[in-house]
Amino acid sequence: MNERFDLAPVLHPGGQVDAERTLHRAPSSARRRRKARTGGLLVTPALALIVAFVLFPLGFAIYISLTNWPLIGPYHYIGLENYRELFHDPEFLHSVRFTVTYTAIVTLPIFFLGYGLAVLLRANRFGSKVFRTLFFLPFVVGLTTESFMFAIELQPGAGWVDWAMSHLGLASATQAWTVTHDRTLLTISVIVIWFASGLTMLILTGGMQGIPRELYEAADVDGASWLKKELRITIPLLRRSIALSLIISVIGSFLAFNQFFILAQNNASLETVVEWVYQTAFTSYHLAYGTSMALLLVIVIGIVSMAQFLALRGETEL
Amino acid sequence: MSDVALEPTRRAQRGRRDRSANFYAYLVVSITLALFFVLPLVWEAARSFQPANLAAATPRGADFTHFTLGNYRAVFSQEHILTNVLNSLVVAVGTALLTTIVATLAGYGLAKFRFRGSGLAFAAILLALMIPFQAVLTPLFIELNDMHLTNSLVGLILVYTTFNLPFGVFVMRNTFQQIPQELFESAEVDGAGVMTTLVRVLRPLIVPGLATTAIFAFLYSWNEFLQALTFLETDSKLTLPVKLFDIDTSTYGAINYGYLSSGIVIAMVPCIVLYLALQRYYVQGLMSGAVKG
Repeated sequence: MNERFDLAPVLHPGGQVDAERTLHRAPSSARRRRKARTGGLLVTPALALIVAFVLFPLGFAIYISLTNWPLIGPYHYIGLENYRELFHDPEFLHSVRFTVTYTAIVTLPIFFLGYGLAVLLRANRFGSKVFRTLFFLPFVVGLTTESFMFAIELQPGAGWVDWAMSHLGLASATQAWTVTHDRTLLTISVIVIWFASGLTMLILTGGMQGIPRELYEAADVDGASWLKKELRITIPLLRRSIALSLIISVIGSFLAFNQFFILAQNNASLETVVEWVYQTAFTSYHLAYGTSMALLLVIVIGIVSMAQFLALRGETEL
Repeated sequence: MSDVALEPTRRAQRGRRDRSANFYAYLVVSITLALFFVLPLVWEAARSFQPANLAAATPRGADFTHFTLGNYRAVFSQEHILTNVLNSLVVAVGTALLTTIVATLAGYGLAKFRFRGSGLAFAAILLALMIPFQAVLTPLFIELNDMHLTNSLVGLILVYTTFNLPFGVFVMRNTFQQIPQELFESAEVDGAGVMTTLVRVLRPLIVPGLATTAIFAFLYSWNEFLQALTFLETDSKLTLPVKLFDIDTSTYGAINYGYLSSGIVIAMVPCIVLYLALQRYYVQGLMSGAVKG
């Protein structure tokens, strides 16, 4: 508390220091009110935008979902009819099952590859910074652009995927990569793992850099094996980063849209929940019906985000 | 290279072992992985300089002997992609600027001023962090449509800014909290107003936070696809990703993959350049942990 008074004479050589100090120590209520008003004013633009484009639409969504809102024309209140219909809609239920399956397929490979990359580069050896940057580039470029890229490269007979896979002996030449359900899902999963593992790597690297090196050296002295060090030191101390990376990856997979919309446009069996919402609301113009699903999404993502928030709060068990 | 933390004798030992099998194994594995991660991107860059017809033919080494700017010339003249690149640039720069300004003000207010409702304001902003835009896509479309903000770059900037704000405010609030209270007080004693303090005194100290907020907002808006697809309609308003989608799903006969590949490279370059330039701030933002996938 003392330094702040020490600064004043430096900034105010001579003169009004005393008066200012008094003013400072006991701000008048008018001044405090003015400061409070300034604080409020500073936050207003951000709050206005968030209310206008997040909170209001959220409330509006709840209202719409209780009506039969069309694109144009009259509408009326129909209660929970949309929600009831959802649970009997085979297309919707399929999109939920599909999204969950897809999330289950990609989450662990992304995690383990990301973890492996972080371990590989953890020692800060020659070149590890450069490698870290290179491994992260697919994430930087973004999945949308990369989906277009693979739209070219997955062409049967013409893209490099066919060419590389047949030279590696993993597939006969001229495969249709995005036609059948299983193969498309596998192909897109591999692309997503390639895209996202760099992010997990960076998050885990951040956590690993906070682990004191002495712990490993002590374990070395005790002759602990590599695996033992990972299980006993790295993983327990990395719990927060691990939780964060898994949650980010699960949310990302739940909200998947671009890669399936771009690479599997004509395949209804590969429709994710967000794709279903988009198609229902903006292709079939069942705005209210699509919105009711989107709200269920808020609840699911809200729960996952809440877990993320608690994990970040620190000492929470997860 | 940086085994400095080890004591001298062990460093020497470790160093010798490092140079041997262990180190070369690390190099081989890392280089192989680097090829796995980067080669697809590099290949696409090379692909974009091939004559367009080769994009639909079996790849051969000989295809890379004659490079041409044909795809780029064609995509700018025939697909009018220049407009879409400019749209993307306007939206990304606009969003980065607006997000940075609004987030700085709010972060300043929340970190350094006590006022009624500040807890509520912060809670509202945190709540927004948990709501994915996908969840409010329909009501947002109806609302923007009523405000005549669909098919408008301004509308898109406002929406992108809003969804980048929770993260930005979070980052800026942390930034301001780390500045010693004495600095604010001495500025105040000095008679500097709130804005003068912000611009004159604090600016150098908040640059890292500004850079983090700006780079996330820019990359988000440059790459965003679903909202742009939903809110934009006419060709002259489309951002680059939506334009690429139109080329990819071209209804006029065969898809020109040559055009598409040059468009992809145009979309890739700013991300990579910006990331390489501001990597430090990007990683800092990531570590602050408020990022959604």
